[in-house]
Amino acid sequence: MKKLKVAILGSGNIGTDLLIKIQRSEFLECVLFIGRNLSSSGMAKAIAMGVKVSDESINAIVKNSDLVDLVFDATSAKDAKIHWDILDKLGKIVVDMTPAKLGIFCIPAVNLDEVVEHRNVNMITCGGQASIPIAHVIGKTQKNVEYIEVVSSIASRSAGPATRLNLDEYVDTTENGVKHFSNAPRTKAILNLNPANPCIDMQTTIFAQVENPDMDYLQKEIDVMIKKIQEYVPGYSLLVPPVFENGRIVIMVKAQGLGDYLPKYAGNLDIINCAAIAVAEQYSKKINNIK
Amino acid sequence: MSLAKNKIVFEDCKTSCVEIESFSILDNKSILITGGTGFIGKWIAEMVSYINSTSKINIKLYLLGRDIAKFKEEVPHLAEKSFMDFIEQDVRYLHDLPSNINYIIHAAGSPDNREHVSDPLKTIETFYKGTQSLLDAASRIQDLKKIVHLSSHQVYGKNETEQLISENYFGPFEGLNISNCYAESKRIAETLCSYYKNNLGLPIIILRPFAFIGPYQDLEKPWAINSFIRDAILGGPIRILGNGLTERSYLYASDMAYCILKSLIDGKIGEIYNLGSNTPISLNELAFKIQSHSATKMEILSRSSKENYLSISKLVPNTNKIAKDLNVKEIFTIDEAINRTLLWNQLNKNN
Amino acid sequence: MVKQILISDSTLRDGNHACAHQLSIDQIAIYAEAADKAGVPIVEVGHGNGLGASSLQVGLCKETDKDMLETARKHLSKSKLGIHVIPGFATIKRDLISAIDIGVDVVRVASHCTEADITQRHLGYVRERGKEAYGVLMMSHMASATVLVEEAQKMELYGAEGIIIMDSAGAYLPSDVQEKISALVNGLKVPVGFHAHNNLGMSIANSITAIESGAKILDGTARGFGAGAGNAQIEVLVAVLEKMGFITGIDLYKILDASDVAEKNVMSSVPIIKSDSIVSGLSGVFSGFAKHVTRISSEYEVDPRDVYRELGKRKIVGGQEDIIIEVVMDLIRNRK
Repeated sequence: MKKLKVAILGSGNIGTDLLIKIQRSEFLECVLFIGRNLSSSGMAKAIAMGVKVSDESINAIVKNSDLVDLVFDATSAKDAKIHWDILDKLGKIVVDMTPAKLGIFCIPAVNLDEVVEHRNVNMITCGGQASIPIAHVIGKTQKNVEYIEVVSSIASRSAGPATRLNLDEYVDTTENGVKHFSNAPRTKAILNLNPANPCIDMQTTIFAQVENPDMDYLQKEIDVMIKKIQEYVPGYSLLVPPVFENGRIVIMVKAQGLGDYLPKYAGNLDIINCAAIAVAEQYSKKINNIK
Repeated sequence: MSLAKNKIVFEDCKTSCVEIESFSILDNKSILITGGTGFIGKWIAEMVSYINSTSKINIKLYLLGRDIAKFKEEVPHLAEKSFMDFIEQDVRYLHDLPSNINYIIHAAGSPDNREHVSDPLKTIETFYKGTQSLLDAASRIQDLKKIVHLSSHQVYGKNETEQLISENYFGPFEGLNISNCYAESKRIAETLCSYYKNNLGLPIIILRPFAFIGPYQDLEKPWAINSFIRDAILGGPIRILGNGLTERSYLYASDMAYCILKSLIDGKIGEIYNLGSNTPISLNELAFKIQSHSATKMEILSRSSKENYLSISKLVPNTNKIAKDLNVKEIFTIDEAINRTLLWNQLNKNN
Repeated sequence: MVKQILISDSTLRDGNHACAHQLSIDQIAIYAEAADKAGVPIVEVGHGNGLGASSLQVGLCKETDKDMLETARKHLSKSKLGIHVIPGFATIKRDLISAIDIGVDVVRVASHCTEADITQRHLGYVRERGKEAYGVLMMSHMASATVLVEEAQKMELYGAEGIIIMDSAGAYLPSDVQEKISALVNGLKVPVGFHAHNNLGMSIANSITAIESGAKILDGTARGFGAGAGNAQIEVLVAVLEKMGFITGIDLYKILDASDVAEKNVMSSVPIIKSDSIVSGLSGVFSGFAKHVTRISSEYEVDPRDVYRELGKRKIVGGQEDIIIEVVMDLIRNRK
């Protein structure tokens, strides 16, 4: 088997955590770790791991185009747009970690087979990776879904300045993602930051308004889905199984991080990275004809 | 509409640029300005454009900034000029500079204190790493005549005296103040300048800007005069937040641009100069002036945490040193400055 | 100099917590008109958790934001129309633009007391539109005076024209209020305000302590109609402030009338300090949780006081209402 050659654009927390996850993968090989500043802590980590690094941003890929099959873009929405113009022409596959929304929305547990037919895949939001698969199951198992609402609480410390400034974009993108995967006519997303110390794990609740819910079918399918997600997000678990309370379905899940580069409480960042790895591995399997 | 706007700016450059012939030293020379796409960068470009178009002098200008596309969109009449060249780069990650550069104006980094408190690390990096990267690259340039480092009046700390602030003043810092990261990183940037000047002999002078006002300054910036003007343009009321007796001073933008360019010629290497207006005005007076210059009638409201203040904050520079060494003086009075700014922003809003 | 106190009336906003967000547009019309007549400076209207917050998480609103605000707008002539906005619930594009278009005058942008930096965009937008912008730090008992000053300073820089701290859990004693308000008055340029809850019977005493410590803005509601044990009673505030020689601009008789109108037409029962509320206040739990805790506790037959204790221990913040179910499930599991 040939490992898929990947590059990581962006040497911040997300990029560095991806790198560590890739080092463990039997399907992926990180050939280039790219940032803008060789002295950042992410770079130092990569250099210490013996990974080839560059501070030339997108130009590093242009120069080494033959070496790279797939690029994780962990920069910003604005930069991701500029990068895609270039990477598209080079024929690269892009797994987009930013909220740029250029490619197909991806929830690995739902549409992994479909997305690998595309060359730009968007990972939606961290909260979306936790809630949307559950919303999808509700949409699939229930008739007459009127409304789905997803609420995530994350540790304050796991939300950096960019997340804080862009809460509106998070809410907007997550709502669209829930709608897309559940077919619910109305959706809503809410995000809470909790400053408790020790830091809380990411917790997500999915609510739904459904006329005559089929709770047994739901329970069965939720269990299947949880197992499926756990295949690529080991820290994902069902906290409160589906209950019908006060006219609403309530399901609660929790995502604990693997503690690779980011701490365990940053389950919100871990889950989106795990999902991105699953996508890249699927490309690798496809190329190698592995089922 | 944009023609009328550009005309205001052009006329103001003309008014401020009292000694155009002194810039002949810059003929066929190249100036690099970091933070070139911001308020100061735009005005330097305007002033250079004025000088190039009305004299035989030909100055080349390199504009270094993070978002050149935005600059081209905002000021197309400048972007299309043949004397302009662009370098899209984040100053923090700068390696090399064009070798033909003769002068550098270091104006990178946002003075917006909302950004300082929301992302202090970025603030510190920009001023510390950014200044170091720039000076490192500058130290490898063959024919570099002068570097003007734009620091900030905030390095002075607090002033609760009645005095105008001279370059040798040093006040206390408020312990419990979340904006300190800006002042502190501006201080370390000055220390870097001092090292590069002493040990590597770089021809650095430092300007310490106070408050400016004029076209191209975003009205959404969180400073008193900007808020007053925005309130006025929206039809009022004008809201004074905090102590209305607080004293500041405002140098008009074209005067500022002229002083900075003049410092490239006459600034003495190793010296520090205050850059600002030496005419104090209280926030109350300022609001009143803006009110009286506005076409529509509007209220002035005062919102303050305290009834009585033990001291009055006064951040106004003593400008004797810059006036003497650079032979510059403030041309625009505060009334003229307000008038021009209101007019330009009115046109900008209707655009 | 006679000191002026700015009163913001949150009957039609915090009161929505007390009736599971079931205020009707008729009720809003009736009370808005009465408050306007009394000369109340700001009348806050909306879901208990503010704009865009109608949800299964914190409770669905009977009326839409649009209907509530349009109704209130129609019935307010002198009073300014205010709203409460929490980023994470309300977005600028989805909610705030249209609210300001409807004619909202005052926007109070709120966050948990340690998370002020999520309010930058929203405060900026309100100022851009030329409306009055205030910053609100909720659950302020969970942060020290020093932290509150830092967070409030951020909001001030973002454009807030005043900072209000909320005792969302009704957990403060007067000495706490004195410490925190004094620190804020000292550390800020803009006026400081206080929003009380009455779990420990301290709402009026705490509000007056706030004023004596330098606050210039107070929140109150008719009969104290609000989350949990209710808020500071606006009619009592007006009376006491008048007795102390402060100016509120509110006509005492007419605010007494307005409160009578509210009691008759707006609330099914007048808030009292129930036993559970006392435990809620002692545990420092968000007052908006009260209805949910009562309902879920009785549904699953657990002692609501245990639920409050556990929520307090876990340091749950406003907006995390979903955790109540988890806590209840946990209590049942541990009982077995």
